[in-house]
Amino acid sequence: MSKDFIQTRAGDNSPSQEIICDVQNVCTEFDDNIVHHNLNLKVKHGDITALVGRSGCGKTTLLRHIIGLTKPKSGNVLLFGENLHTMERVAQRRLMNRFGVLFQQGALFSALSVFDNIAFPLRELKQFDETIIYQLVMHKLALVELEPRDANLLPAEISGGMVKRVGLARALALEPELLVLDEPTAGLDPDRSHNFIDLVKQLKKSLGLTVLFVTHDMDTLASLAERVAVLEDKHIIADCPLRELAEIDHPFIINFFQSIRSRLERL
Amino acid sequence: MAAASFYVAQDDQGRHHVQLFGQWSLRAPSNDFAKLKKSLQPLFADTFTKWDLLAVEQLDAAGASTLLSGWGNKLDDNISLRPEHTALFNTLIGLAKPPTKKTECDWFAPFVGIGKGVLHILHHFIEFTRLLFSLLIEIAYLFRHPQDFPWREFSANVFKSGVNALPVTALLGFMIGVVMGYLMSKQLHTFGADIYIVNILGLSIIRELGPVLMAVLVAGRSGSAMTAQIGVMRVTDEIDALTTMGISRILRIVLPKVLGLTFVAPLLVLWTSGWTLAGGAFASNMELGISFRFFFDYLPLVVEPINLTLSLIKGLMFGFVVALVACHFGLRIKPNTESLSNSTTSSVVTAISGVILVNAGFAILTRGIGV
Repeated sequence: MSKDFIQTRAGDNSPSQEIICDVQNVCTEFDDNIVHHNLNLKVKHGDITALVGRSGCGKTTLLRHIIGLTKPKSGNVLLFGENLHTMERVAQRRLMNRFGVLFQQGALFSALSVFDNIAFPLRELKQFDETIIYQLVMHKLALVELEPRDANLLPAEISGGMVKRVGLARALALEPELLVLDEPTAGLDPDRSHNFIDLVKQLKKSLGLTVLFVTHDMDTLASLAERVAVLEDKHIIADCPLRELAEIDHPFIINFFQSIRSRLERL
Repeated sequence: MAAASFYVAQDDQGRHHVQLFGQWSLRAPSNDFAKLKKSLQPLFADTFTKWDLLAVEQLDAAGASTLLSGWGNKLDDNISLRPEHTALFNTLIGLAKPPTKKTECDWFAPFVGIGKGVLHILHHFIEFTRLLFSLLIEIAYLFRHPQDFPWREFSANVFKSGVNALPVTALLGFMIGVVMGYLMSKQLHTFGADIYIVNILGLSIIRELGPVLMAVLVAGRSGSAMTAQIGVMRVTDEIDALTTMGISRILRIVLPKVLGLTFVAPLLVLWTSGWTLAGGAFASNMELGISFRFFFDYLPLVVEPINLTLSLIKGLMFGFVVALVACHFGLRIKPNTESLSNSTTSSVVTAISGVILVNAGFAILTRGIGV
């Protein structure tokens, strides 16, 4: 009997209600303008959380803090229990591979084809040869319901809806646990945005994702969000399941809930 | 949950039984599929190996694809899978295969390449001529409707490509003047022909160096900026927005740039030549002891004033060429970063080559004047 046993060190524990993203006492200022003051937000594993608030209230800024693009003036942002800004480089990169981001305009690399855009993060890992990468890219394309022949197109040659799908496929390439979407349905017609929401929901179910997104679109909010975090007056005034908003007495939320009530009833 | 791992046992007939454990997915941060594939390679090569994936905790497309590539992209009886994993494997097997590349040598490729290159240049030439004539038509239009002249854009371009270029042209001109003056003084001094420094510097700087130096600097500075600006305006649909407001893009974007630079270039030539001469005078003063007063008194006696006119005409032409080439390449930019960088490079290279070409032609035409 010959034995050959490879055991790499045990991975992280992930109980079902682990806190994926923890924003603690974040303050942000731009010159004299205070955007966030002692803001707290927690996103739990498996949630689909929507971040809402009026235009210019700092939603996208908060999202950029969470994904580590910017650093708050004070306070901490913990992703998977770790602070992106205090880690050493290799660990930071690993942590960044655990979430995928879909930017508002897709942010596809304009000089690369659809195929190369999706293959980019996979190639950067340097773990796969080209045949495996090809198969994985085709798999991601199929996940977001695009045809294999779309793979050779350049970002400038495809429609807005397709740009979002390719962006989503790229965000999903490394099998992230957390998916961050900035205005996922902005610029899509109602039909397309409906399909896109269905796609995200279905992917969330099949891949076991946690989703955090920012939106202004009430239809997207009503049909996608399970929880909603309301950013108003420099901090989160409510973080609860969508329907519980009705019980909160705050002028902004009352106003806001009225506009989604009819949509919720339709569902 | 644990990282991906495997266990190999051997039965009586010498067959390997491989049992896989843990997370065969990218989510386990310590997984390295390249290493796993390498250590599994001898087992993949043995067709009798039995594979047992029943104890795998998590399997994603990356893990499945790695295993599939080892198994020759098919499932067989030696592989035992959980039902939910079978579906993933079958999806992956059903995907499109990578296209097989043609390795055949194409003997006509170089000729096709040359032909394409010629057509490409021809296309550029046609487009450039078209742009030139649309510009002339717009100028003709402006003669009938002088109130439509874009004064604001014109003066903005004069300021950006003229006034803002003053410090850099002065500095570079002065330094080149010092270097040339120093080297020439050394040579002339050995022949005792000190006084001719004024002739040589005066003629070469006023007639040739000043205008060409100005053109090269302006092509690098303002030409590239113009190309990039028009390119980004195209990418962000600003040019289309202008057109829908009934404003001609040639009139509003190309014309102010071309006229602005054509207007300001002769002035820049004067400025650059002046500083280059000052540099030359400084070097001759240090090396040969020729006083500034004498240098500039003697200059008009040995360099015919017609040379100054020629240099101003050159300035006009160079400014026109640089701006028009910049606009031509700017308008051809496609909405991606690669095209933007290529066009900006081509714009500067073509503008400088064009300037040198025009300069050579002009030198031949005016060979009998002023020397």
